[in-house]
Amino acid sequence: MDNPQPPYRKIIHLDLDAFYCAVEELLDPSLKGKPFAVGGSPTGRGVVTSCSYPARAFGVHSAMPMARAVQVCKELVIVRGSRDEYSRRSRQVMKVLRQATPLVEQISIDEAFLDVTDNEKLASAVAKELQARILDETGLPNSLGVATNKLIAKVASDVGKKAGDGKDYPNAIQVVPPGREAEFLAPLPTKALWGVGPKTAARLAELGIRTIGDIASWPQDDLRRRFGQHGGDLARRAKGIDTRPVSTSRETKSVSQEITFREDISDETELKQALRKQAERVAKALAYKDLKGKTVKIKLRWPDFTTLTRQTTLAAPTDEAEIIYKTGLQLMNANRKPGQAVRLIGVGVSNLEKPGKQLTLWDVAEYKKEAQLEIAVKEIQKKFGEDAIKQGKE
Amino acid sequence: MKVSVLQENLAKGLGIVSRAVSPRSTLPVLANVLVATDEGRLRLSATNLELGITCWIGAKIEEEGSTTVPSRTFSDLINTLPNEQIDMDLNVRSQSLHVNSATSNTDIKCIDAQEFPPMPAYELDGGMELNVSDLKEMIRQVAFAASTDEARPVLTGVLITVEDGELTMAAADGFRLSVRTADLSNGNSPSVHAVVPARALSELARIAGDGDETVTMVLPPGRGQVVFRLPDIELTSQLIEGNFPEYEQIIPNGSKTRTVVATDAFLKACKQAEIFAREGSLIARLNITPGDDMQPGAIEISAQSEETGSNETVVDATIEGDPVLIAFNVRFLREVLDVVETPNVALETTASAAPGMIRPLGEDGFLHVIMPMHLGN
Repeated sequence: MDNPQPPYRKIIHLDLDAFYCAVEELLDPSLKGKPFAVGGSPTGRGVVTSCSYPARAFGVHSAMPMARAVQVCKELVIVRGSRDEYSRRSRQVMKVLRQATPLVEQISIDEAFLDVTDNEKLASAVAKELQARILDETGLPNSLGVATNKLIAKVASDVGKKAGDGKDYPNAIQVVPPGREAEFLAPLPTKALWGVGPKTAARLAELGIRTIGDIASWPQDDLRRRFGQHGGDLARRAKGIDTRPVSTSRETKSVSQEITFREDISDETELKQALRKQAERVAKALAYKDLKGKTVKIKLRWPDFTTLTRQTTLAAPTDEAEIIYKTGLQLMNANRKPGQAVRLIGVGVSNLEKPGKQLTLWDVAEYKKEAQLEIAVKEIQKKFGEDAIKQGKE
Repeated sequence: MKVSVLQENLAKGLGIVSRAVSPRSTLPVLANVLVATDEGRLRLSATNLELGITCWIGAKIEEEGSTTVPSRTFSDLINTLPNEQIDMDLNVRSQSLHVNSATSNTDIKCIDAQEFPPMPAYELDGGMELNVSDLKEMIRQVAFAASTDEARPVLTGVLITVEDGELTMAAADGFRLSVRTADLSNGNSPSVHAVVPARALSELARIAGDGDETVTMVLPPGRGQVVFRLPDIELTSQLIEGNFPEYEQIIPNGSKTRTVVATDAFLKACKQAEIFAREGSLIARLNITPGDDMQPGAIEISAQSEETGSNETVVDATIEGDPVLIAFNVRFLREVLDVVETPNVALETTASAAPGMIRPLGEDGFLHVIMPMHLGN
């Protein structure tokens, strides 16, 4: 490394503006300028996945029940959504980003961090180029936050977006110069900070803490005493400190599936069917990613919206639908009173590992045990037929 | 010191010893080559304190003497000179070596030979005589399996044992084990048990000529060193201390499935698979299916990568035993198949999580064990 590094990093956060809606407009230009929403049907329990800026002006927002959305905006056009198309366009955008730097961390279908520290140009110039190239090559409006770390870059792109008039795609670029991080955060409400959800925000408000600046000036020890480890994190973030690197290989930590029923379900057989279907989907996703997991968890939401998750760890990692289903079923039976109605059921597998671990010569005892079991099973199958003995998974 | 040498001989000698030069050592003299008159010849030596190489070249000596010449400068210069006589004259007081060829005059700043680490001369009596081409083949078949990870120094070495008139070399990096034995012509050799750095052996194989020369191996008692003596070349290496793992326990005794396959076809299939496996964990799956009356047995070698695609090659094979699905690091497979000299090779397997063994057909002296990769079932 002969080039002197700048004393700070140059991090960009990219967020595609109303991504699903932007794609839908590209597919059907007649939607342009109209209030429309991507999401489920208003007759069932569909929710708004994404909505156009004109729809937002009516007060429609994402995660709002579609039934409610059509009430607040009578002329709302509902679009079912085209997942494959979203993935395809997202890949195009990521490709453009990777041409700028290999240090791209995609954090969702429409968001990514870039580390452009090694680029000699000003980070804001890089951001401008990227914005233009993405718009040019994919037709997708996008906003960028430019800062010295991921936290500030992300908050910056949010702030940039909100600064627009709200009537059209913001196409914003918000730059936070080095050394001005804390100053930039200070006037923002606490919930703009990562790790501050509604509960934490409420507890902070009880203390009279309303802005991020309030957190930064609050005694750190007191925050730690009240919020534990989380308090320490809050204090650091409020000062604009974030040392996490842009990590290029984002590992899958868990694979899960869930379904919200059109109507609450209390029938045992129907719940089992739903659980099995989710388990099969999870198994398929695991197989696709060449992963196996050791921990199976379920998620149950009751009609009153209270939600519980329960998990258990298996003896060996699995990607088998049957094992995931049976484990999930046990968890459900242990946590659900007979006849209790369920609004949402989900199942997931975490504690993932990739098969293909290289065994070592010194694992002799290990492999001998495993190999002997495999040999014994084969011997029995040879003598008494394939069905005489099977491994639990089969 | 005042000597005359042929450019060709000096260039060759410097090429041999320069591999032991240590250009970035804290001892500046280790970046130099010792040049000394030695019984009517010129001796060139270099050492990095672990590995030392000495080479003697013919020279006309007018005045005895010695000095150390910066290796890089010296080699680069000599390599550009025409293949004619080179006269070298050392100014002892200024330690400046005057190098005079037909067309050029050069002065090189040297370091006094006194500062060069002593390179003791050992008696070669009682040494073991080995055929050079045999030794080179042994090294080629074993040294690549040694580890490059300095965390376990003993695994960066090759265990050399001599017992009952048999020489054995073994190396293991934790995932694979290569063992090669050969009969010694002089049966009454003393027994030996020493771990030699794989790098030293690879250098030996590189500098040893072809043909029917002999190399003498000596382990001077109590010195922790091994010396290999070729005509006009001597390589000395520090031995690696520590206990080499008892590898005999790792060698599987028996197998459930024996697959005999044409070495070349198997190697090519592995090379293809590696193109796709190298993007990921280098995993290649071997689906070994015995034949029946209708069709021959086959190994299906497959690899895939999310980025580049997938590859599947079927190689006909004679298979005795059960079908088996086993996964290996395909680079390990390719590297061993590269050093198998026989047209056919046997892959012996027992289960997907048990070691696989590669043996060249008709060459009992060589065996190679590779641990599979977990298929994750």
